[in-house]
Amino acid sequence: MSARILIIEDEALVALEVQLVLEDLGHTVVGMAADADSARAIAAETVVDLALVDINLSDGPTGLALGRELAEDHGVSVVFMTGNPGMLRQGVAGTIGVLSKPTDETSVQAAVAYALRRRTGERALPAPPALRLFA
Amino acid sequence: MDPDSQTSTETDRVAALRAYGVLDTPPEPAIDEIARLAAHLCRAPMALVSLVADDRQWFKSRVGVDVAQTARSASMCDHAIRTEQLFVVTDAADDPRFSDNPMVKGPPHIRFYAGQPLVTPEGHRLGTLCVIDNHPRLEGLDPTQVMALRILAGQVMAQLELRRALRDRSETEERLRLALAAAENVGAWDWDVANDRVVADAQFARFYGVDPEVAAAGAPLASFVSRIHPDDLDRVTAEIDAALRGLEAFESEYRLIGDGGEPRWVFARGQVFGDEAGRAARFPGTVVDITARKRVEEELARAARLLADSEARFRAIADTMPQMVWSARPDGLHDYYNARWYEFTGVPENSTDGEGWNGVFHPDDQARAWEVWRRSLETGEPYEIEYRLRHHSGVYRWTLGRALAIRDASGRVTRWFGTCTDIDDLKRAEHAKELLSQELSHRIKNIFAVVTALIGLSARQSPGARVFADALRTRINALARAHDFVRPHTEASRPTLAGTTLHAFLRDLFDAYVGPDGERRVEISGDDAVFDDQAATPVALLFHELATNAAKYGALSTDGGRVRLHTVRQANRFILTWEERGGPAITAPPTRTGFGSSLTALSVESQLGGRLEREWASEGLRLTADLPVTALARRRNAAHTSTQPAEGSRVLPQHAKTEPSP
Repeated sequence: MSARILIIEDEALVALEVQLVLEDLGHTVVGMAADADSARAIAAETVVDLALVDINLSDGPTGLALGRELAEDHGVSVVFMTGNPGMLRQGVAGTIGVLSKPTDETSVQAAVAYALRRRTGERALPAPPALRLFA
Repeated sequence: MDPDSQTSTETDRVAALRAYGVLDTPPEPAIDEIARLAAHLCRAPMALVSLVADDRQWFKSRVGVDVAQTARSASMCDHAIRTEQLFVVTDAADDPRFSDNPMVKGPPHIRFYAGQPLVTPEGHRLGTLCVIDNHPRLEGLDPTQVMALRILAGQVMAQLELRRALRDRSETEERLRLALAAAENVGAWDWDVANDRVVADAQFARFYGVDPEVAAAGAPLASFVSRIHPDDLDRVTAEIDAALRGLEAFESEYRLIGDGGEPRWVFARGQVFGDEAGRAARFPGTVVDITARKRVEEELARAARLLADSEARFRAIADTMPQMVWSARPDGLHDYYNARWYEFTGVPENSTDGEGWNGVFHPDDQARAWEVWRRSLETGEPYEIEYRLRHHSGVYRWTLGRALAIRDASGRVTRWFGTCTDIDDLKRAEHAKELLSQELSHRIKNIFAVVTALIGLSARQSPGARVFADALRTRINALARAHDFVRPHTEASRPTLAGTTLHAFLRDLFDAYVGPDGERRVEISGDDAVFDDQAATPVALLFHELATNAAKYGALSTDGGRVRLHTVRQANRFILTWEERGGPAITAPPTRTGFGSSLTALSVESQLGGRLEREWASEGLRLTADLPVTALARRRNAAHTSTQPAEGSRVLPQHAKTEPSP
């Protein structure tokens, strides 16, 4: 199943690699944003199924609130990808979980697949090891 | 003397009589002569010096009368003493008051009586001088006789007075003598000024180095001054002269030189009495040894001086200290702050005494500070706390408060001394430094992410490099994870709640190797340890290679395979054992060693300074890495070489206690 995915990441090389990995899987990357406002602008204009969200963006640690906002206000499935997973220890309402950076292709693929299957209503799935789920 | 105003009560009169000490004493010629003269002048056959006691009259002198005393009821003198005037009865037989009197009816058959009261200077009428005739005398006494009787009564009184004075003096002297003898440190002198003879007792003689016998006999004043301390002699001489000139009391404290040359402090007190011409005549007095008292006084003075000095020194030190200094009583009430405290807080002097200090603390810190302070007061343990203190500018500044209990010899807390140090700048600098180091370590981690992304992107361009790129990428990821465990962290940035120990890192690293039911396939047991940034790279590479190798060829390459990783501390060694079970059976050691094996050997032997042993048992690889215990945390070990725990115990260093050690 092909999904519309938004990548929110301020490191262009990291974002680019994730984009290529996702496109290999047949997904559509609807946009890449380096800061919260650009992300909001994209989410306002287009349908987004899944967002991969870094915490520290070019405008500061704005990813956390942005992820929550996308999940709650736009119905987007949100998986965080961050070097600082400790900041998400309490979980973020409406979002799925966190992938610790640096990560690898397999982990990204597994996490995206899991998130999209959950979006379609499959709840009792085993999560991939690299993805830490929020309670 | 006014008789009416001087009328005394009978009790006082009898007490006054007794005070003369004359009742029941033997006859005295001087008084007998007066009585005889009275009888002669009045041409009377009988005369009496009669003293009226409470229930009788007793005759101190009697002329022509045989009885020594009579009952008071039979006393005509009892009537005579009711006024101060001469009392005359011309014919007692014809007087209804006395006609039945036994001395009238019987011997000595009194008919005429004339009694002159004996009056004391205080107005008490003790009795009479009376003349008696056994014939009535209707003409009474002639004026000359009346006058003679009054004068002679006065003479009797004078004799009684003299007697009383002598008696008083001897009693006083006796008391004084006894008192002086009892008091070893008191001497007495009496100086006959006109004749310059000082008579002194034995103790006084000893004080002044004079033979007691010479002193008792009397010697010139000059004999007594040799022992007066030369530094005091002029002053004492001047004081004596002043007393002599003014006929005054004399008081002086001065030193005497003792027998052994030791100084002895004395206090001399005397009184100069003048003669009729107003010249100094006598100068008696006493001298008391006050050496002991003086010593106590001097010690007190010295102690007070020392105290004042040390107090002054303390204040000088306290006021020049860069810290705020305070002290509190054992009950915790503050009673002193140095100048710096008032300078910093700007509060009025003494306004923070008692419990007032708490009000200058930040409201959010007040309860906590109270609690810490109360605990120190209860236990006597040092007080240490960081809190925000209100600066006089109104802003709160972070302050380090510390206090120590001062104890007496028995260990009881007598006082608390405390300091407050402004650590606000330090605190800010520390915070800034922490932020910077977190930012740096975050960037480093970000670089790892960029590097692995770059590897992934590069491999896309040359598909043949894919395997190589994946291997490189997972190695770099392992490094990144290991460094994430050892970099500076805040509570939020810490990778796991389990802390940053070796076991926590290994669990995280082996997270990916789980069985079908999510159970861990690498089981970790044994002693845990901490590792630092220097050990992070070899530790990460060692276990990354072991795990990927096991996943490719060993126990983790099959569904049922397991790895047991056991770490144990033995003396100063830390030994890790990696044991694979349930993988493909091994028939012989691999003939070719790959780059992974080289990395493993390089990590253990070169970087960690340990020994590596591989054992290719048929059930799987058994690898032992025997490391010096210091290899995992070189920096920490350099700082804490003495805090190594005993063999077999956990290698984790004790967390620094929050309470300062006493």
